Amino acid sequence: MAVLSRRQLAGYAAGQLLDGRSPRSLSKELAAVLINSRRANQAELLADDIAYELESSGRAANATITSAHAVGEQLRKQISGFIKKSAGVDDVIINERIDESVIGGVRIDTAAHSWDKTLSRKLTEVREVV
Amino acid sequence: MILPVTHFSADSSSSGISSLGVNLKSFIFQLITFLIVLLILRRWVFPKLVATLEARRKTLEDSLLQAKQTEEALQSAEKKVGQMLHEARVQADAILAEANSKVEEIIAKGEVSASERAARIVAEAEERLGLERERLHKELRGELADLVALATEKVLRQKINEREDRKLIEQSLKELA
Repeated sequence: MAVLSRRQLAGYAAGQLLDGRSPRSLSKELAAVLINSRRANQAELLADDIAYELESSGRAANATITSAHAVGEQLRKQISGFIKKSAGVDDVIINERIDESVIGGVRIDTAAHSWDKTLSRKLTEVREVV
Repeated sequence: MILPVTHFSADSSSSGISSLGVNLKSFIFQLITFLIVLLILRRWVFPKLVATLEARRKTLEDSLLQAKQTEEALQSAEKKVGQMLHEARVQADAILAEANSKVEEIIAKGEVSASERAARIVAEAEERLGLERERLHKELRGELADLVALATEKVLRQKINEREDRKLIEQSLKELA
């Protein structure tokens, strides 16, 4: 039996989700494939690949926003709108992460894009320039 | 052995030889004796004596000849020795001159080499100094940047509260859009 590559699996999963299949049953199926092909340790990478496929297809983006303080609902909406426009996707899933080391500003990471407007990044740039 | 035969007598004064004062009989006797002695000498003595003298003369001649040959050999040897000494002196002079020339050449080369080495060492030292200066400058600049960034970070941490942070994020989103 030919073993599907992780990329092929991700494409298949993205297609199934876009077709409206239940994420739960799809997850079970993918887990079975990974275990059967002795690649259970690649589950996280497969999830990233699926997110990349979904974002590339313009369906949805799974975004992680990192900031020093909680952004609040209004800002979340603004950020969501920005991602939709910039990544060209219909839907955005936001995961918020608080990290005081960024000092201020925000960093937005999706499967295919990344925007870093934090003060810690600016300070790093200053150090590099000097 | 020969006895004196002349004597004056009264008898001899009468005949011819006797008138000369010579006794004829004694004279003849002495003559015969002389001849006998002469014959004996010639027969047994003189040949041996001559042979001995001849041998001695030959020995002397040989000795003289050998002495002459020895002297000639000595002269030849002295000449050869002189010639060899001369050649040896000439060779020694040549070797000495060559050695002096080589020594001068080596000294000259050594001086040039030492001068070049000194110049190279100075150049390398200058280069190392320049690199070290640049490294220190870069290090100092890096440390200064770290200090500035650290100070800025501390100030920002004090100044940025939740409200300011939201403003900052909104401004960032506007810039990104």
